[in-house]
Amino acid sequence: MNPTQIAEGKAVGQGVLRVDAEAKVAGQARYIDDLGFPGMVHAQVVRSDRPHARLRRLDLSPVLAHPKVVAVVTPRDIPGQNCVPIIYRDMPALAEDVVRYVGEPVALVAAETREAAREAALRARIDFEDLPAVFDPLEALNPGAPQAAVREAAEQGNVFNAMRIRKGNVEEGFAQADVIVEGEYRVGYQEHLYLEPQGVIAVPEEGGMTVYGSLQCPFYVQNAVATVLGLPFAKVRIVQTVTGGGFGGKEDVPSHLAAMAALLAWKSKRPVKLVYDRDEDIATTSKRHPGIIRYRTGAKRDGTLTAVEVEFFYNAGAYQTLSSAVLWRGLIHAAGPYRIPHVKVDGYSVATHTVPCGAFRGFGSPQVIFAHESQMDELAKALGMDPLALRAKNALRVGDRTATDQVLEESVGLWECIERVRALARWDELQREVEEFNRRERFRRRGLGVSTVMYGVGMGAKAPLLDKAGAYVKLEVDGSVTVAVGTTEMGQGAQTVLSQIAAEALGVPISSVQIAPVDTSRVPDSGPTVASRTTTVQGQAIVDAAAKLRQRIDQAVRLILECPQFTLEGQTFCASGAARRRATLADVARWMWAHNWDMGATGWVEAAPVDWDPQTGLGKAYFVYSYAAHLAEVEVDLLTGEVKVTRFWAVHDSGKIVNPDTARGQVLGGIAQGIGYALLEELVSQDGRILYPTLTAYHIPTSADVPEVAVEFGEAPYSAGPFGAKGLGEVPLMASHVAVANAISRAVGRRLRQYPALPQRVLELVEGGLG
Amino acid sequence: MFGPIVKPKDLREAVQRVAEGGRPLAGGTDLFVRIRKGLEKPGMLVYVGELPELGVLRATREGLEIGAARTHSELLESPLTEPFPILRKTLGTIASPALRAMGTLGGNLVNASPAGDSLVALYLLEAQVRIVGPQGERELFVQEFIQGPGKTGLRPGELVVSVFLPYVEGEPVSYFRKVGRRQALYISVVSLGALVWLDGEKITKARLALGSVAPTVVRPRAVEEALVGRLAHVEAVQDLVSLLSSLVQPISDLRASADYRRKVSGNLLLDLALFLQNRK
Repeated sequence: MNPTQIAEGKAVGQGVLRVDAEAKVAGQARYIDDLGFPGMVHAQVVRSDRPHARLRRLDLSPVLAHPKVVAVVTPRDIPGQNCVPIIYRDMPALAEDVVRYVGEPVALVAAETREAAREAALRARIDFEDLPAVFDPLEALNPGAPQAAVREAAEQGNVFNAMRIRKGNVEEGFAQADVIVEGEYRVGYQEHLYLEPQGVIAVPEEGGMTVYGSLQCPFYVQNAVATVLGLPFAKVRIVQTVTGGGFGGKEDVPSHLAAMAALLAWKSKRPVKLVYDRDEDIATTSKRHPGIIRYRTGAKRDGTLTAVEVEFFYNAGAYQTLSSAVLWRGLIHAAGPYRIPHVKVDGYSVATHTVPCGAFRGFGSPQVIFAHESQMDELAKALGMDPLALRAKNALRVGDRTATDQVLEESVGLWECIERVRALARWDELQREVEEFNRRERFRRRGLGVSTVMYGVGMGAKAPLLDKAGAYVKLEVDGSVTVAVGTTEMGQGAQTVLSQIAAEALGVPISSVQIAPVDTSRVPDSGPTVASRTTTVQGQAIVDAAAKLRQRIDQAVRLILECPQFTLEGQTFCASGAARRRATLADVARWMWAHNWDMGATGWVEAAPVDWDPQTGLGKAYFVYSYAAHLAEVEVDLLTGEVKVTRFWAVHDSGKIVNPDTARGQVLGGIAQGIGYALLEELVSQDGRILYPTLTAYHIPTSADVPEVAVEFGEAPYSAGPFGAKGLGEVPLMASHVAVANAISRAVGRRLRQYPALPQRVLELVEGGLG
Repeated sequence: MFGPIVKPKDLREAVQRVAEGGRPLAGGTDLFVRIRKGLEKPGMLVYVGELPELGVLRATREGLEIGAARTHSELLESPLTEPFPILRKTLGTIASPALRAMGTLGGNLVNASPAGDSLVALYLLEAQVRIVGPQGERELFVQEFIQGPGKTGLRPGELVVSVFLPYVEGEPVSYFRKVGRRQALYISVVSLGALVWLDGEKITKARLALGSVAPTVVRPRAVEEALVGRLAHVEAVQDLVSLLSSLVQPISDLRASADYRRKVSGNLLLDLALFLQNRK
């Protein structure tokens, strides 16, 4: 018997206020650095200041001589394995014989105060023997280049991973093309700049270790702490604290912090706080991979794409961390959301003696998207075609095959996104306005840029083992509901959206749902909180649990009302027919409790199967895709090269939108971050050293840099998502930056092939002659 | 990280404390950042932010006296600064509202950064800096006071009490353009400020000042003189672009190359001309 539908449409689809908003706005939310434990000491990491060197001698006696120092840790003090396990096991918690990047941890200090720990750490005496180093990924591929990769973690030399797609025959495809465009594109680092820097507190207790922290993936952290301490997982408990932003930066890095804090706590037998300050965070934690991306795209005179050939190189840094997965997502997304019969892609993640790169919103796709969407505009120009029309013509639709030859069976809203953004922005009129502006203005030029993207939701075929989620839903005796899940709130709004899904599935008001704190000893492992998967995969696990609980509730209602049929009026169950019996959910809960019924239900979901062949690069890469079309208007100052984004339009298909307000927030935030990527964010490094790891030098957008944005959702429902939902979180960033880049190129008539479009770079384009 | 913060009871004690090696502290928006980064380790901080002499804001017949501890936001809001639109234009671009509420004019001055936004206005207005020290009071013109990046004419034990802005004659047009890497909260890469006196469309007098393109703010006198008698039109000043570029001595740093700064310094003359041309 199916559970009856109660209060349908009351929670999902509503712009419910963020459940965590009030505490955060009022300053009541307690972040990691707000927390303390009796006897807590403070950690400081002693780091390498060399990009590649042999560690000849490490003398910590002057550190220990500091009166406030409580403990030091070197690799010899590690009871378990000296390894931070991520995908590979090449990265040590503390460098042992060789350091491979500037900033690599070599020892740990705990002291009574943070200042003392800092002072003491500076006293460490380290003898390095410098070794040859390599910083550029192309140089690292040369024969005889210094070896950056740990050999066991690399496919060959400094190539961590090489991946490819071979679909059709590109030679044939290019032979069919009337027009071929070609280009090389370059991007540098992007820093996450979450508001709250990285931080953890390790507390030794009950023969094990508990780590509190600002983190996205508690079960990754559990693995890391168990590994370095040599403890059973059951003795290691990870508690996520209120997390002030992640964007991928708190996917893998907290494992390293937690391992280090846990080692100090284990040795000192005291709680240890390790919180980075901003400079340390920028200089030593993961970033978006810099890339060199080469494209060739062919099309027939009518705009039909015939072939794309891509070769791209990502600078992974000194250790694997998540680079293989980042590379894979870049590979799968390299050809864009288009129908292309012949595709050849080769991607390489390359080790260098630089800070390890990792996960960042978009996860390896924004780099290749900069290239593929630039190519589409170059093609449109070469063909004399409207750039939106060219995209619409080639846009994937239901039944089409992707670059990996996957047949799209459902939920493909791309074409609708393109048409809706055209209408939303009044495309034809807008182009006339811009032309008029450019005729009128002497030293300013406006330009319009578009972009379309697809996004594979979830882990995909490279990591299917992680694409699962569990949920425990419990009806409390008073009718309120507690939900325990293993995915996390990091500021993206997951608690709110998951509460809405639980409320909808159970037919209760959202105010009666409470998401439990994430503690690995109390919540199911739901895989990592990444890949825009939480709403889709975690949400479905809640639906599964709620359905089981609903069956029991319905059964109880029938017994209470003493009739087989009942209706629901508001939140009250009413017996149908002559009997006038009624019961609220609180009455039902009380009855279930009084009759010793099981009031909890567990839900489990495994994402739809995927399958991909590494030899050909073909297969079902992801279970479903989200789509977007963005349109940006920029204004370029021809005298200074300054660029201002003046207007922006965005239409997204992420299936059913659970909360239009928080979804809109995701879109605005992603656009802001994309504007930063395209225009502002430059992290200068030299010989493996981040030169200015400060907010004075690294510019992220202010509110003045982000224009008004018009946002719409085209909701192509996904049958296996909760109420038809797909993922959204990463997509806005992926689409936005290149719409801006295309708008700049259009405004100045010359192609921007490198991010960020700093005034100096744009003025050089302008000086090359206005097109 | 730093020694005690003392709050002197009067200016006399403040001078004494500074003479003992104390570092004057007002808004602290730059000083605390420097201390936090370990660039400075002052033994003693002398809080001068509430001394009455440093808080004056007084209009006289000749001009306006501004106490060194007056914040940027106070000056932006005070009706007394109305006769100096160029001051307001520059102050309005400093950092963010929060920092403008803390940072002071005196602080911006003694920082002596080539990128100090208020300095462009002070150079254009030919401001005088009033100083007090163990040897008593003295005055310097702003261009004498500023000697280089972070370098001022302050002698040991001296501190800035106030800045005097003489009224300018007539009603010059004020122009300020700050070029940088984002729309707000940024340090200028190049800035150009100007006071231009016009007779109809003809320039009768001009003062120009450029920031961030030399060790100190630059007054390009040759261009100022060459502008006199010309029409305030883009075409009429085109030939002065390269002259202006040649009068700056920029460096390359993390924000931009010297070459870019030189080029944009000249180009901004065209922006100024267009501004004058379009002004109605």
